[in-house]
Parts: sequence; C-alpha cells; structure tokens
Amino acid sequence: MWWIGYDWPTVGLDAALGIDKRREVMSARKQSHAEELERSYQDGEVIVEEGDGSRDMFVIQSGSVRITKRIAERVVELATLRRGDFFGEMSLLESLPRDASAHAIGETHLLVISAGALLVRMRRDPTFAFEMLQRLSGRVRKLNARVVQLIESAGDGSAEPATMMYAPASVDEGDR
Amino acid sequence: MIVDVRLERALVVSDLHIGNPFSEASESLGSFLEYAERERYHVIINGDGLEILQTSFANLANDTVRILNRIQRLLARGQHVYYVVGNHDIVLEHYLESWAELHISPFLNVHSGDRRIRVEHGHLYDPFFVNYPRLYDALTRAAGPLLHIYPDVYRLWSAYERYKDRRAGRSTQAEPSVYHGAAEMLLRRGFDAVVFGHTHRAESIELGPEKQYLNSGNWMHGGTYVELDHGRATLKKWTVPKRR
Repeated sequence: MWWIGYDWPTVGLDAALGIDKRREVMSARKQSHAEELERSYQDGEVIVEEGDGSRDMFVIQSGSVRITKRIAERVVELATLRRGDFFGEMSLLESLPRDASAHAIGETHLLVISAGALLVRMRRDPTFAFEMLQRLSGRVRKLNARVVQLIESAGDGSAEPATMMYAPASVDEGDR
Repeated sequence: MIVDVRLERALVVSDLHIGNPFSEASESLGSFLEYAERERYHVIINGDGLEILQTSFANLANDTVRILNRIQRLLARGQHVYYVVGNHDIVLEHYLESWAELHISPFLNVHSGDRRIRVEHGHLYDPFFVNYPRLYDALTRAAGPLLHIYPDVYRLWSAYERYKDRRAGRSTQAEPSVYHGAAEMLLRRGFDAVVFGHTHRAESIELGPEKQYLNSGNWMHGGTYVELDHGRATLKKWTVPKRR
C-alpha cells in the first residue's frame, strides 16, 4: 500500500516552494528541532546577496568565504573568512537586509543557524556567544577609533558624530 | 582576552588541583615543566590547576611557590603558559593574572599545523554544575574530607553520569555522553579536535572522520597530558624520571 509510506505533509510543497526549497524544508524536518542545518557551496556560488531578506547566520566548517560590498558602483572586497569564522549575524540579530554579499571560495561547507537555533546553540555551546561578542566588540572598537580619527581630521570642533558611539539601542515603536 | 593562538608544539594538562593535599602534581609537575622547558613546548593548564575549594590558603600558597617558580622560568625563556579557567579556580583568576604573567582564558582555539583544536575545561557542559550550581559547590567542598579516604573521589561522579547514560540507553563509553555531545557541537563549528578536562578520565576517541575528542585526565592520581605537535593531538602519560 503505497500511501502508508507516503510523506503526506510534502504534498503541495513542490508547487508552493519549488523543488530546491522543498528539499531544504524536508531536510530540516528530518533533523531534530534543536539542530542546525549544514549546506555546501561550490566555488563562486552566492551564499547571500547584499540587500536580500534572508536572516540566517553561518559558521564556516571548511573552505573560505569572500565578503563584498557595493560602494559607489564598485564591488569592494571587505574580507576573506576562513574555517571557524562566522558571518551573517547582523541580519539575524537586527532583522535587517543583508549588508554585504558572500561568495564561496572553493568547495565550502557551512553550518546554518537561524535565530531560534542560535539560542539553542548559545545554551549548549556558551563559548560561541563569547566568541560572537568578542568579534563584535573588536569591530565596535575599530569603528570608534575611526570615528575619533574623522572628528580629529575634520578639525571643526564638532563632536556630534561621537555621540553615536554609545547611543542606546533603538526600540521598535510598534503601533504608536 | 586571548582565545585564538597559534601553537605548533604544546602540552595540555588539566585538573592538577595544586594545593589539595592529595594532588600528586606538587611532586611530579616540576619534572614535567622541566621537560616542557627543555623540549621547548608551550604549556596549557586546562582548568582546575589550582585548588581553592577543598584546601586552605596556606596549603595552596605552600604548594604553588615551586610550581609558579618553574612557570616563571618557562616564561623567562620565551615559552608561553596559558591558563584556562576551570570550576575550582574561578575565584583565583585575578590572583593568577597578577602573580605570574599567565595568559588567562575561558577557553583556547589553538591553531596547530593545519588543524584547529579547541582546549576547554568542560565544566560548562556538566549538567549538575549548570543546573544546580549551589549544590554542586557545597558537595565539592564537602568532598574535601572524603579525599583523605579515596583520592579518586571525582571518578565517582563520572561513574554516576555513566550510570545515568546506561539507564537512558545511551552510549556507555569511558566518558559520560554529555561531553561527547558537547564536543560534537564544537566540532561542527570547524574544529578538528576538542580537548576537555574536568571529568578526570583521560580519553582519546574519534567522533567522526578526522574528528577527535580527547580528555587530558588529571594529576590527582597519576599524570596524563595531551601533546599537540603540528596539529597532531596525542594522549600521553607522564612518568617521573628516576633520580640517579
């Protein structure tokens, strides 16, 4: 009886999501709710595109990733990330479109972490939270130093841009 | 705080419990550090190096002087000594930092050869430590007098965890499965090997193709360590050389 083994929840998924998305959903379904997905990319393949609305963050299990950003009609390479590095956390944490693009360099395997899975990961692997904070803190420090440099080079005595360094986090006002 | 380091050759020891009257480390660690100095290894103390919960400060001060002097010699020769904080020495963090120029870290990501190795004490994955911190602390202190009767009292803890694993039908390998699970979580982040301490049970197993889990054991009774050599991680036992 063919219908006993049939995976009924997938009916209609092909039509609704397309075959690739359906495979992804099914692969996620097979895993425990607390597990993260793993994805593989070929050389040059796009992982995320600047401006897109995806929200996952990624940890590089093997291979490398090139991060680029479009600045004044030019594509500028911001960084090359290697095994153990992570990216995409800004979109995950702030629910904002991607700030930069990411492409695989060589065959690359990634751990894919959604917002829900991030909390599970932090509870089970608290050092991951430490490493994320440390990386973000380093980035903030460099940006602060750059702001101070710009104020000094402007030489007009205005310290207004410096106030952004310690501005409190914005609150979504909802219906107001 | 340093957590990422490149070390081609290093020796990892854990659970020395220096200051505890039953730790063999105060006797045998001197020759081990001498060996590290001679062979130009860096040293990583992977948690619970010093004991404060189960001893007096007088004992601790007495036992640490010789060891810290040895460590100073290593540092003077340009070798690095990293101290990963465990659950028995959290309160000593500032003392250690000001006493000797040790690199204090909550964990280390060691780049050795082309491999990435996580060195961490492992107490964060101990369900009892995480879920009942006050009770854990009280029992640890209470276990102090028990050490007079049975120096390997810590192993009872691991035995209890393994008993729980058997009851739950999980793997019954040497270590409680929670630590293997924690190591697997870390290995999925692009590490090739994970080195824990904490359980006092020395172990080296494969958790997948090219994925290794090691426990550096303890120096309460016998002395085991993990040698990192250009990416290769090997569990070894230290034998005190005979004096002529």
